[in-house]
Amino acid sequence: MTSSIVKISKLDKYFGRLHVLKNISLEVPERQVVCLIGRSGSGKSTLLRCINFLEEPSHGSIEVDGVRVEGGEKGSHHRQLVHDVRLKTGMVFQEFNLFPHMSVLENVIEAPIIVKGMDRKKAIELGEQNLDSVGMLFKRDEYPMRLSGGQKQRIAIARALTMEPRVMLFDEPTSALDPELIGEVLNVMKKLAKDGMTMLVVTHEMGFARDVADRVLVMAEGELIEDSKPEDLFKDPKDPRTKALIDRYRSGEN
Amino acid sequence: MNLFAKAESGAPKTQAELLFAAQQRKERHFRANVALTWGILLFLLVLLFSGPINIDTTFIKNNMLFIAGGVGETIRISILSIILATILALLAALGRLSTFPPIYALSTFYVSLIRGTPLYLQIMFFFLALPQLDIRMPGLWAGVLALGLNYGAYMSEIFRAGLASVGKGQREAATALGMTPGQTMKRVILPQAMRFAIPPTGNEFIAMTKDSALVSATGFVHELTWRAVKVGRAQFHNLEALIMAAIFYWTMTIILSYIQGVIESRLAKGDR
Ligand SMILES: Nc1ncnc2c1ncn2[C@@H]1O[C@H](COP(=O)(O)OP(=O)(O)OP(=O)(O)O)[C@@H](O)[C@H]1O
Ligand SMILES: [Mg+2]
Repeated sequence: MTSSIVKISKLDKYFGRLHVLKNISLEVPERQVVCLIGRSGSGKSTLLRCINFLEEPSHGSIEVDGVRVEGGEKGSHHRQLVHDVRLKTGMVFQEFNLFPHMSVLENVIEAPIIVKGMDRKKAIELGEQNLDSVGMLFKRDEYPMRLSGGQKQRIAIARALTMEPRVMLFDEPTSALDPELIGEVLNVMKKLAKDGMTMLVVTHEMGFARDVADRVLVMAEGELIEDSKPEDLFKDPKDPRTKALIDRYRSGEN
Repeated sequence: MNLFAKAESGAPKTQAELLFAAQQRKERHFRANVALTWGILLFLLVLLFSGPINIDTTFIKNNMLFIAGGVGETIRISILSIILATILALLAALGRLSTFPPIYALSTFYVSLIRGTPLYLQIMFFFLALPQLDIRMPGLWAGVLALGLNYGAYMSEIFRAGLASVGKGQREAATALGMTPGQTMKRVILPQAMRFAIPPTGNEFIAMTKDSALVSATGFVHELTWRAVKVGRAQFHNLEALIMAAIFYWTMTIILSYIQGVIESRLAKGDR
């Protein structure tokens, strides 16, 4: 059995009385690219955000690269474990969330320096390397306000990578972009996938799911209703809800 | 500016250049008229006070230095008070975010108490009531405490708005990068909130330079208003003395407003 780098076990999440994630279990092997699709409100973001504890799971456990955290616990030991998990995961948001008061390079090196205590020179070296790999080194001293959405998102990816995470989480990374800017971000993600990064990607980009994902998960009403290879998913979806979803994508609405 | 020069130099003018030039002319015209009207109003004001009543210019000459000496004191008390107020406002605003009941309560209690009582009474409290409890302090410090506490309560709203202006995505991004809540506040939220809060804090400072006059009522701080009232009363030249003080205040606020405008436009430019 190959070892999984992410293990989610019997995860439940409630928002008040709303049962948003229902007993979800999932293992992701190292270097796998997983796309997560589903209708709005099905719980995709919440699942992703539970992995790095931006949302605290109500029950169940999350394990990333050997660090196992039980949901719904409290105390300093729990906080330390959550911190360890966050160091092992990088996250990219729909709205980029770059720090507007910092230059591009400062955005990228801030956390490595203050969180990991990385030597400033090493952080700059690593940060510039990552900016270069997303094609944004030429804007290293610019401020985010003066960049396009696609450029911001590529910098956000470089920022997450400079923390040297083992797993990357993407929550609809291209949904806030003008159509002509989507490609440049997807290309960076493709390259990252090819370099062997483990990735969980919530997306509406079916092309990306088909071409890059090793595996597609479909969520509906807080449950994983489908878990298949992309070619199988598009050929013969098992669940009628998946079929409906794919038909909706095919017809161009989403 | 360049565009305008070209338009006047006789070179062929495009439609856009003509429109731009016309707009510039209109703006200059407006500004000139406003300045002219200001001049007339000022002149009328001077006329009003110097016409029927005769202003005693020797009094003005003799007491100029004494009253002007209050400017420094007024600025000193205002700067010290605004520093104290800023610290208190920040603490109160952060307290409002606390999920720890005593801290939240302390913050809301402070703001409610201060905003629910007159500034004048608060100042008197520090000078007249505290000594009864055997708490005595130099006049300047009592004034700074009273003004700082008062403005801190009002300014906590500015900082609260500043903190609220930072989107929750910023906090989430910092958290996802592994920053602790303290690091997130210090490195990500506060710098952005501060930038938001600088212009309104400038406004408060300008207001403070004038409210500091209330401290004169205690007789212990020899700032602008105190000095004007003292010599005006003693020599029965209240009109001259108060006009002089008013001119000093007005000049100060005009200068401060100008500085404020420069800072504001610099903050706006490039959003940095
Ligand atoms: N902080 C919150 N408080 C209360 N309810 C929430 C919160 N966040 C999400 N929800 C609810 O949980 C459900 C799942 O939301 P989630 O954001 O995970 O869906 P999603 O699949 O990511 O949808 P979308 O495609 O619109 O992003 C929704 O019903 C949503 O309204
Ligand atoms: Mg979502």
